[in-house]
Amino acid sequence: MIRHLFKLIWNKKRAHSLLLVEIWASFLVLFGLSSLIVYNVRNYREPLGFEYQNAWAISLNSNQDTVEVAEKIERVLQQLRDQPEVEAASRMSSNFPFSQSSMNNGVEYNKKNVLADFFSTDEHFAKTMVIPVLEGRWYRSADSVGKYTPVVINRKLKEGLFGDEKPLGKVIGERFKVIGVVNTFKSKGEFMADKPALFELLDVKTRWNDLLMVRVKPGTDAVFEAKMVKAITTMVTGWSVEVDHLTDSRKTTHNMTLVPVIIFLIVSGFLLINVALGLFGVLNLSIAKRRGEIGLRRALGATGTGISEQFISEIWVLATFALLIGLLFAVQFPLMNVFDIQAGIYLTAIAISIVVIYGIVTLCALFPSRLAARIQPAVALHEE
Amino acid sequence: MLTNYIKIAWKVLLRHPFYTFITLFGISLTLTVLMVLTSFLDHLFGSHYPETKRDRSLYVMQMMQMDSGRTSRNSGPMSFRFLTEYAKSLKTAERVTICTFVNSSNAYVGSQKIKLNTKFTDADFWEVTDFEFLEGKPYNEQNIANSDQVVVITDDFKKHYFGNGTESVIGKDVEIENIHYRVIGVVKGSPVTRPFTYSDVFYPYTAPKSNYQRAGMRGGYVAILLAKKQSDLKTVQDEFQSHIARIPLPGVQEGFKYAILEVKSEPYLENFIGTLMDGNKGIKTVFFGIIAFIMLMLMGLPAINLVNVNVSRIMERASEIGIRKAFGAPVRTLMWQFIIENIFITFLGGGIALVLTLIIIQLINNSGMIAYADLTINVNVFLISLLVCLVFGLLSGVLPALRMSKLKIAEALKS
Repeated sequence: MIRHLFKLIWNKKRAHSLLLVEIWASFLVLFGLSSLIVYNVRNYREPLGFEYQNAWAISLNSNQDTVEVAEKIERVLQQLRDQPEVEAASRMSSNFPFSQSSMNNGVEYNKKNVLADFFSTDEHFAKTMVIPVLEGRWYRSADSVGKYTPVVINRKLKEGLFGDEKPLGKVIGERFKVIGVVNTFKSKGEFMADKPALFELLDVKTRWNDLLMVRVKPGTDAVFEAKMVKAITTMVTGWSVEVDHLTDSRKTTHNMTLVPVIIFLIVSGFLLINVALGLFGVLNLSIAKRRGEIGLRRALGATGTGISEQFISEIWVLATFALLIGLLFAVQFPLMNVFDIQAGIYLTAIAISIVVIYGIVTLCALFPSRLAARIQPAVALHEE
Repeated sequence: MLTNYIKIAWKVLLRHPFYTFITLFGISLTLTVLMVLTSFLDHLFGSHYPETKRDRSLYVMQMMQMDSGRTSRNSGPMSFRFLTEYAKSLKTAERVTICTFVNSSNAYVGSQKIKLNTKFTDADFWEVTDFEFLEGKPYNEQNIANSDQVVVITDDFKKHYFGNGTESVIGKDVEIENIHYRVIGVVKGSPVTRPFTYSDVFYPYTAPKSNYQRAGMRGGYVAILLAKKQSDLKTVQDEFQSHIARIPLPGVQEGFKYAILEVKSEPYLENFIGTLMDGNKGIKTVFFGIIAFIMLMLMGLPAINLVNVNVSRIMERASEIGIRKAFGAPVRTLMWQFIIENIFITFLGGGIALVLTLIIIQLINNSGMIAYADLTINVNVFLISLLVCLVFGLLSGVLPALRMSKLKIAEALKS
């Protein structure tokens, strides 16, 4: 049966080559689209790892003031903690969650090198951001004795460096001692891939790390914020103060991911509708052209279902050809590890695209094949 | 003859509404996407309010320092002093402005918080750009010399801070981060997609917290060099590079030893692409490869689709072709007929696309996704689309036309 279908298709290879190209191209577009969607959905399903509601990021900038900057930052932090509206406050490097800036460095352990996001934070960070600690505990200022800086790593970095080994108490990158392990920490929002991250205890005496993370009581409004900004600017004159609500920053980072995906989705959606309509039209016409053949088959005893099955299988064989060529291209992505995305994502995307292509093709062939099944042999052969 | 061809084309269109729909859907979809895209690119890179002189401007955005081993690099905006010494002193440029890139801050009115973007500029900023002053005037050299605490605000910020009233706010007081400023002018705002001029509040650079006193080469400032005319761009660029070449190498900056120092002055588009790619050649090729592929798919798929439908419909017109050939019409005439028919259909699709594009652009402008968005279909965009239209029509018309006109008379008349 299949050999027969191949022969039928091969005989009209000229006319079919255009259909082939069309299905092949739609497959590639669909593959791109579904890779993007699968990648983002998979990321979205990983937990964020912290709570952003009611968290404010206060950026300080000392501008031309160079006297006792570190001490002044600590004083501001202390004053923030004394406010009744503030539940917890912490000082960290400028790459706070949902911010545009990031810092990464390689960390080495046992000849394994992993690139990780670095965050310098103080001992209150886990409490301020509500980060659950899986193993060990979050570091304290008192841990900073000797030549090692205490660090907390996330599970991804633990897996990358240690595998099944116990990480607690180990020294990594020559100067860090692991104190605790947290689950995930997706600092760029839900759509970010879960990347290795490392938190190190910040040195309170440096003048960098001038960002304060504050968790306020629910329902705290701009009146308190204005009061707080005023208090800070009177305390440290000449400094700039900027307050970001993490809920707002999250929306911005989300839009940066979602808007391109939605645009791509709309455009390729229309492209596929276009292709489907075209395919439908072409099949319709080709059945009209083959009335004689259909009439003859019916006269020789083929059933209506048999006829419509033939047309659907014909288009399936054609789609399979196109998909095989398309697969040759698509398989390069997981093989060559393009964009450093897991092979699983590409394979899922390929599977989805194949199913959708078969679906579209079947849908387009269904109506014309029904039409073909209804052809009466007497009428069709009479025309001949 | 032409009207005859078009009449025939019109009749053919009406005969099968479904196929007409497929054809027009494909053409207008593709053209709409292309036109919205070009209009957005034009919005990003063209010369529009308030950077109407962008076509003769050079942008100095960042300084790149690299060590002798090319292993570590350091890049970012420059200090006010550096730009004053190396850019402001240009003799071939008409004017040079130095301003900060986008900074942000907060202001509070009652229980309301306003997030705002701020910019510190010199007086020349108002000459290089073409801001429309709704009220008052810009600050001048005198204000800057006196370190006056004055600001120019946008109409949008005025609405948020002072409410919807129509009375003038010149001379009124604005409090930002505990410092009071006097409003000196109100301008129509600039969209966020133009970071060199986008801001809610403009301060003179001598206002507090501008850090213009910083001594090193790096800081928070960028510059726009305005050439006298477009052909002068090269001269200005050369003079600027000769200034940069005066910087002694190697040097040390905050403990970073650099052997290579690069400061580019480029037209807006190159500057933009340069920052996007950051010099990495591999990523650049991949990026442009993907863009080219997407464009090809976008153009190619509907084209293949059209050719496909057209080729399948040859037989419908077979008797007509047969009769015309029997009466002595040569292949060329027939081909021209089909090409003209296709161009006619494509222009019809183009007309629909134009309407659709206008609707989409209106939607984008009014959605508030980009404040002050001013997407338009300008003459350039329209002409490019028309050209694309034509290529498209020929692409999907030539192949079927060629096939159709080569049919044998007997074969064509048989059915």
